[in-house]
Amino acid sequence: MAVNAAPITATDSLSQALKANIIPNQEYLLQGSVLDSAVEVLLHRLRGLCDNVDAGPETFDDQEVCFSLRDPNQQSTPLTLRVRKALDARDMPYQLRYIGQPDLGDKNRPTVVRSSLDIACSGMLIEFLNELGCRIEFEYSVKGYMFRKGRMKITVAKVFKISQSSMPPEPISQSYLVELSVLAPQGQDAIGEDMRAFADQLRPLVQLDKIDYKRLGHMSVT
Amino acid sequence: MQREEKQLEATLHAILNRVNDLKSAIQGLIAKLETEYETINWPTFLDNYAILSGHLTGLSKILQNELAPSLRSVVVLPLQLGCERDEELARLSEGRVPACTHDLVPDLLRTKPEPQAEQRLQQLNHKASTLSYDTAQKQVAQFTKVVSHVWEIISKGREDWEGESMRSAGIQPTHSIADTHALVTAVGTGKGLRPGMQPIGPPGVGTPGMGQARGPTPQMGPATPTMPKAPSAIKTNIKAANQIHPYQR
Repeated sequence: MAVNAAPITATDSLSQALKANIIPNQEYLLQGSVLDSAVEVLLHRLRGLCDNVDAGPETFDDQEVCFSLRDPNQQSTPLTLRVRKALDARDMPYQLRYIGQPDLGDKNRPTVVRSSLDIACSGMLIEFLNELGCRIEFEYSVKGYMFRKGRMKITVAKVFKISQSSMPPEPISQSYLVELSVLAPQGQDAIGEDMRAFADQLRPLVQLDKIDYKRLGHMSVT
Repeated sequence: MQREEKQLEATLHAILNRVNDLKSAIQGLIAKLETEYETINWPTFLDNYAILSGHLTGLSKILQNELAPSLRSVVVLPLQLGCERDEELARLSEGRVPACTHDLVPDLLRTKPEPQAEQRLQQLNHKASTLSYDTAQKQVAQFTKVVSHVWEIISKGREDWEGESMRSAGIQPTHSIADTHALVTAVGTGKGLRPGMQPIGPPGVGTPGMGQARGPTPQMGPATPTMPKAPSAIKTNIKAANQIHPYQR
């Protein structure tokens, strides 16, 4: 009976996990959209392809708020943090998410790869971020369906703009946003090929591609 | 010398193989025609012809190969003609040439095309040389016109057949690239989501050149009267937090 064995501290297990490279801190992402008229067909196809559809597709209804933390002295790019809360399940924890810059290095990579850290938090999160000095950049709500296939998560959701008065949220476009993402530790690039193969099965309904929104955001609106 | 001999042998071997393949393909085609002439259809027939042409192409490739020694300089001469049945020859030729007789040998060892073909060729050559340049040009132009006309008919037909399935899916596009871009930028950078802004408003909003003590949702000018209480509450909080911001980062 090893009574004098020291208890394993949290920092020890964390550093062990870091060394073993098992923390899923990378997100592999493909995005696309499907028109409202064709979303039923897409849902049928996904129900056929995906795993978790025994009792109908899983729905979700989330509100996401994006905060940014600026350095008052330097004019560097601010740190953006996203807080997501579930509107249909009020007792689920809030999700605090950091999303890094996408890795633009390799043009041949089939998916967008960016670092992503998710932490579950309590409802005090918004106050805490405000105390830290974060400001709300924008917010929106997403409502739709979530499918899983192995490690891959596919969401088909409509994005709504939250209007400040008590009007119901209005959709920002006539399409549903389709996202295929995998959270994985660093270095598991083979998953990108699997994702690309799955994305090809959804063609020509949806064209899932890697989209660089920063570049699109600076382009002028036609 | 030895190398040339070896090359010659190798080339002959290759040619022999090709010719055998060609022969078996022709045999197969003839057998098919004879046995299945009621049930055969045009595409199958064309397939067989394609096989034949493939073999012929292979044969011509071997002959054109630069490594092949110049076969023109090699001559085959019958050294002895006989009327008796030669078992060796019969075996080599699978029973078709039982003896090296004088009526078979000129046909088998012939290098010029057969007389009828030769006559036809001469007639055509003569006709071609008597044509004037203008008539020749006109004929060529007509020929090209006819061929392109046929080509158009065929390609239109193909489009009609193959385009049916593709067109019915194409008439109703199921996704719009513009919408994809709009959604992704909205989710990523908040374009079109900041309150008081038109949907898909002017680009690059808010983030560049913002003052520090400004409000949380940066608006370019029109502070709409529907600005609610919630942001302003945050405003005061932020102001307080900024003023006593102890950390450098």
